[in-house]
Amino acid sequence: MAREKNYGNPQLENKLRDRYYYVDDTKPEFLANVEKIGRTIAHMCYQCGTCTGSCPSAPRSSYRIRLFVRRAVLGLEEEALTDPDLWLCTTCYSCTDRCPRDIAPTDIIMAMRNLAFKWDIIPRNFLQTVQLIYKSGHGVPNNDVNRAARERLGLPRDPPTTHAYPEFIPGIQKILDHYKLKENADRMLAEEGK
Amino acid sequence: MSGNKHQYAFFLGCIAPNRYPGCEAAAIRTSAKVGIELLPLKGASCCPAPGAFGSIDLNVWYAMAARNVVLAEQMNMDITLICNGCYKSIWEVNHILKHNDELRDGVNEVLKEIDMEFKGTIDVWHLAELYYDPAICGVDKIRASVTRPLTGTKIAVHYGCHLMKPKKERHFGDTENPMWVDELVEALGAEAVQYRNKMQCCGAGGGVRGFDIVHSLDITNEKLINVKEVGADAITEVCPFCQLEYDRGQIEIAEKFGIKYGLPVLHFNELLGLAQGMSPQELALDLHAIDCKPFLEKIL
Ligand code: SF4
Ligand code: SF4
Repeated sequence: MAREKNYGNPQLENKLRDRYYYVDDTKPEFLANVEKIGRTIAHMCYQCGTCTGSCPSAPRSSYRIRLFVRRAVLGLEEEALTDPDLWLCTTCYSCTDRCPRDIAPTDIIMAMRNLAFKWDIIPRNFLQTVQLIYKSGHGVPNNDVNRAARERLGLPRDPPTTHAYPEFIPGIQKILDHYKLKENADRMLAEEGK
Repeated sequence: MSGNKHQYAFFLGCIAPNRYPGCEAAAIRTSAKVGIELLPLKGASCCPAPGAFGSIDLNVWYAMAARNVVLAEQMNMDITLICNGCYKSIWEVNHILKHNDELRDGVNEVLKEIDMEFKGTIDVWHLAELYYDPAICGVDKIRASVTRPLTGTKIAVHYGCHLMKPKKERHFGDTENPMWVDELVEALGAEAVQYRNKMQCCGAGGGVRGFDIVHSLDITNEKLINVKEVGADAITEVCPFCQLEYDRGQIEIAEKFGIKYGLPVLHFNELLGLAQGMSPQELALDLHAIDCKPFLEKIL
């Protein structure tokens, strides 16, 4: 990180310090966490901008994937995690396919979102999906109009998923409970309601 | 796969069975006509949605997807599916866990609580790639199965993102201008038209549709402009979530932006069903938000 760059000479280091990007709250462990969770090599980025140039979200918002990669490299955790643009990535992987440094910027975003969730930063609709799956096994559950249509097609009214076999739902709930996901979703949505 | 018979556990996901059941019905019937048998994967759940779950906690995403894979392992059968989002979850988690001991151990610790274990004994396929694969089916066999050619129609193929990208972790080759689904469409007698920025995302993924619908629809709108420009009669895709974004999205675009396209959106399986002689009723095309009639009039 910028802070560690030096000439091994305290006097010279002091003199040159303002030539480097220097932020007090920079956190080197942020880069390490992003790279571990995202399973990618963010530090290889040379800021060419191919990712932003490939991004369908860039032309219609202030979201810049290159900026987020830079924030990872510089350890600017708070700046990255509190920026609402973090949620404008459609995870289309165009940037990943084109990055000349073999980085997966998409997975950098996914890692940052995982870290943001630990700070209770998460769009509310994501939490509603968790609640739906906890209840029925499906993020988009069946309904009566659809049941009637299925019957017309000669399909069972409920598909042979957790819908027709609800005995599988407790297993799903155990997995979600293991990660306290339902608990956290309920809490965050309740706080929202207040 | 067991023996010479091409049998697969059919992973349904959510949007196909619960919003566009015609995709499910079409998959079962069209595959049977080319010698592929789809068996129910009992007790499967949401894949789970890679945008929402992956963003919250990748570890939960791994564990939940692994549970679905294990159900197929217990049947001793490969999985096939008809949705790019499901492919991302089921194929990718299966792939990651096969090659990453640390993550697999973590997942198995959780699965142990429900008496399951991920063993890594099966593979996962998108039905479209099985249709394209000459060892399983192939374009010629698809062509031979057609009884009502879609002659005279122009169709724009939307490949979507999560089937083929990221390319270095997949096996589909070029992701800038792929043609294999176009070849499948042409085998049905239609003309597969080329349009600007073909590989651009539909705009729905990553939770963006739920987080900021206007942003999401603006991306969809750009695709629709490009498709309309080349005079396509319909869009086809291999992902019910892309289908939802284009189909219901056109209604939302009309409401929010005041632009009307009236462009029918059909899953490749629905298109194949029509070409094999299935009726619009048998495909529940009436559940589509955008009326398919202008397209159907050209072929019926
Ligand atoms: S394309 Fe790769 S190297 Fe270039 S700025 Fe983006 S992440 Fe960095
Ligand atoms: S994956 Fe995300 S950041 Fe990358 S090009 Fe697509 S929308 Fe942009």
